Amino acid sequence: MAVRWVRSALGAVAVLALATFVLGPLLWLAAHAFATSWTFPNLLPDGWTLHWWEEVFADAQLFSSVRLSLAFALTTIVVSSVLCLPAAYAFGRFDFPGRRTLLIGLFATNAFPKTGLFVSLAALFYAFDLMTTFTGVVIVHVLGTVVFMTWIPAAAFAAVPRSLEEAARDAGAGPARVFRSVTLPMALPGILVAVIMSFLASFDEAQGTYLVGAPVFYTMPTEMYSLVLNYPRQVAAVFSILLSIPSVALLLLVRRHIMGGQLAEGFQIR
Amino acid sequence: MTSDSGDHAGLRLRGVGKELGGRSIVADLDLTVARGELVCLLGPSGCGKTTTLRMIAGFLVPDTGVVEIDGVDVTGVRPERRPTAMVFQNYALWPHMSVFDNVAFGLKVRKVAKAEIAERVEEMLELVNLSHHIRSRPGRISGGEQQRVALARALVQRPAVLLLDEPLSNLDAKLRVRVREDIREIQQRLGITTVVVTHDQDEALSMADRIAVMNDGRIEQVSSPTELYRWPATRFVGSFVGVLNTWSGTLEPDVAVLGDGTRVPLDTPAASAAGSDTEIGVRPEDVVLGRNGAAADVARVVPRGHFAEVVLTLGESTVRAYVSGEAPPAPGERVCVRFRRAIAHADGRLVR
Amino acid sequence: MAAPPLLLVTVFVAFPIVVAVAYSLGHVGGLNATIASIAREQHTVDAWWQQTFAAYGDVFADERFLRDLGTTVLVTLVTTVAVVLLAWVIALYLRMSDSIPAKVLSALAVVPMFIPVVIASWAILTFYAGDGFVRTIVQAFGGDAPTLGYTVVCITIGMVWTQLPFATLMIVSGVQGVPQPLIEAAADAGASFGRIVRSVIAPMALVPTVIAATFTAIGTLGAFTVPYFTGPNAPTMLGVEMAGYFTSFNLPQQAIVMAVVVFVIAAGFGALYVWANFRQAQDAGRV
Repeated sequence: MAVRWVRSALGAVAVLALATFVLGPLLWLAAHAFATSWTFPNLLPDGWTLHWWEEVFADAQLFSSVRLSLAFALTTIVVSSVLCLPAAYAFGRFDFPGRRTLLIGLFATNAFPKTGLFVSLAALFYAFDLMTTFTGVVIVHVLGTVVFMTWIPAAAFAAVPRSLEEAARDAGAGPARVFRSVTLPMALPGILVAVIMSFLASFDEAQGTYLVGAPVFYTMPTEMYSLVLNYPRQVAAVFSILLSIPSVALLLLVRRHIMGGQLAEGFQIR
Repeated sequence: MTSDSGDHAGLRLRGVGKELGGRSIVADLDLTVARGELVCLLGPSGCGKTTTLRMIAGFLVPDTGVVEIDGVDVTGVRPERRPTAMVFQNYALWPHMSVFDNVAFGLKVRKVAKAEIAERVEEMLELVNLSHHIRSRPGRISGGEQQRVALARALVQRPAVLLLDEPLSNLDAKLRVRVREDIREIQQRLGITTVVVTHDQDEALSMADRIAVMNDGRIEQVSSPTELYRWPATRFVGSFVGVLNTWSGTLEPDVAVLGDGTRVPLDTPAASAAGSDTEIGVRPEDVVLGRNGAAADVARVVPRGHFAEVVLTLGESTVRAYVSGEAPPAPGERVCVRFRRAIAHADGRLVR
Repeated sequence: MAAPPLLLVTVFVAFPIVVAVAYSLGHVGGLNATIASIAREQHTVDAWWQQTFAAYGDVFADERFLRDLGTTVLVTLVTTVAVVLLAWVIALYLRMSDSIPAKVLSALAVVPMFIPVVIASWAILTFYAGDGFVRTIVQAFGGDAPTLGYTVVCITIGMVWTQLPFATLMIVSGVQGVPQPLIEAAADAGASFGRIVRSVIAPMALVPTVIAATFTAIGTLGAFTVPYFTGPNAPTMLGVEMAGYFTSFNLPQQAIVMAVVVFVIAAGFGALYVWANFRQAQDAGRV
């Protein structure tokens, strides 16, 4: 009995501790978005207001950066899907020599620090005349999504049981029909997770976008850097809440699949 | 339903009950297993046999009742402290350990000396004929060999009670026969009190000292295999163990009177049984085709190897008979049917 | 079919990396010409088969770099260990009890994935800053907490915060993947909970753990946003330092040298990952 009580108490303490660690910073920042001002060491803001929200919504520049981020993110996932999904299918279904090496190679390229990479990439872009172009930024964004868009869907395609496809062939369906009606729907959760991780990766992409896009293309993260330095904290807080909305919404959508293991499965090489 | 003998039975369950998910899985179960005896829990899926086994092992705690091993109440004792050892249905061998390490694990936990561990493990692997695989990984040996490792792992702990959960269900038919004989032989040699859970009646009939037939959370009968087969206590036991032709009807000493009025002569006199809820049961091998008896038509003949199964239309009902395979009747033939032996269940209970 | 992404990565990542490494070794022609034209303190070679390690010499002699290297490695190690430990605690709790607190813990651990890194860094900085929540709460109890904002500790906290979700998902998945009968068989053989974790669960969940650890390590090594927002000017992590060397100090060659150093360390961790996957395939009989 006593053990039970201790266990429950420990559990509650653990939850409280982790909640504070994880949610604390978010809630603290969110509170700033509604604060007139906040004097230390008060636990609550001095006053509440929506004034900062008006300010943000009135600022055209801030909004154009959000629109631009969305535009880049959507373009990125389309381009990335077209480029990577067929490859993911190949990686997941065919066993060709060097398959694992190539998969790992794709991952390894991510290990080179972005800053160092972008320096050389800038040089390449100058040569191809891609600097400060929409295409150039898209390329940078797509590069950040390649690992997601190949590894995770590859695992998803590989996980579709052959017997289900064979049953469809047996019932008279041709290969294209089998893909459309059996393989794709079953691999869809994994693909969805990959698409959303890619969307968010593009949304988050700061350094490369700045290097290639500035001063023509300012996306949300690049905007955030300057925001933090030049505007009051409350404005940054409002912006933060606004920018978190797409992330939260999208991830809630696929939360079930992420927790269900699509992400974890995707990163084990089979 | 208890059959007790002596103070310290190997295993005793008294009034054991368990509810899971709002449903009663096992209710008021009594069972006594003598020291060194092998009892099978036999029954269809969902009858509660695995739940009972897990309560003996300690993975489930009974809601009501007591579990005693060698006279000691172990109802509240956790599995790691109980003197039981289980062979799991899918063997549950640890893939990252060799065969030797798998078997030695329980001894290592108990901090037995290294030399003694080596000796006991080698002895046990010798017993199950796996010495040549002592360093192999479970992933590299066959299913039958894995099962023997699981058995060795359980036996090396020198348990007071050995538990086997459907030990043969994953083996192919031929292997099953060999393995069940091996298990039986080892069990008898070591004299360990054993409980085996199975849904396969052949398995139960061939391995057990006594069989406890379970249905819907209760034990319907605990008897030796022959007793069980010849005198099934309830209708359920009769039709679960072996095949039983059944009709509602009445029994007179010399004649079985079937529901539709057909009278079939009996070779062995039976106890009279009459009443609205009486059911007559006859084993197929006790249906004799000869020169006198009730008239029946042969509907189908199914060859079964050394015997043939003959499906007959007797009056308004269907009867299965086993006849010697050499000269079975042909479909369409008219034959005469007698019963060598019949039993009756009145209100579900055996009439003796 | 597999070609497009490979081609893309080869042209836009692998090739630039090679070019960058070449630059670090002194080759300033071709694609490196533009950067080379604005660079200071460059070391060059004339012929394509020559190299100079002078730039490497410069960097490794630099106090600043060595200090930052130490910081980077320290933060990486601490973050990796902390994240893996935390993930294991959550995973074991979830496995053993499947209660509401356990589920809440695992859900909380995944929340950081939902938040853009930029915002997360800023939120963490404000939380631990001089006028942040931590100091406010402690002040309310009459104490005086140190300001953690703009310190290496804050960087570590930030890295743990952002890396926790992926590691938790991997390790929870690994621990849940251990079949229940294997755990029961160990209990049946007399093992206590601790023994079961040590002898059954840990070895079987080793590969996912290694994967989680290497991803965390590699992600932390090259991190930019979190240390940029939450860390001090010095010492800081190499990601921030190399950006500074490039944009502020006009020392691109030295910046690339740092990038190569980070890459080599990351590759070391990556090798672990490859080994872990190889072992997994081997054990499952696929190799």
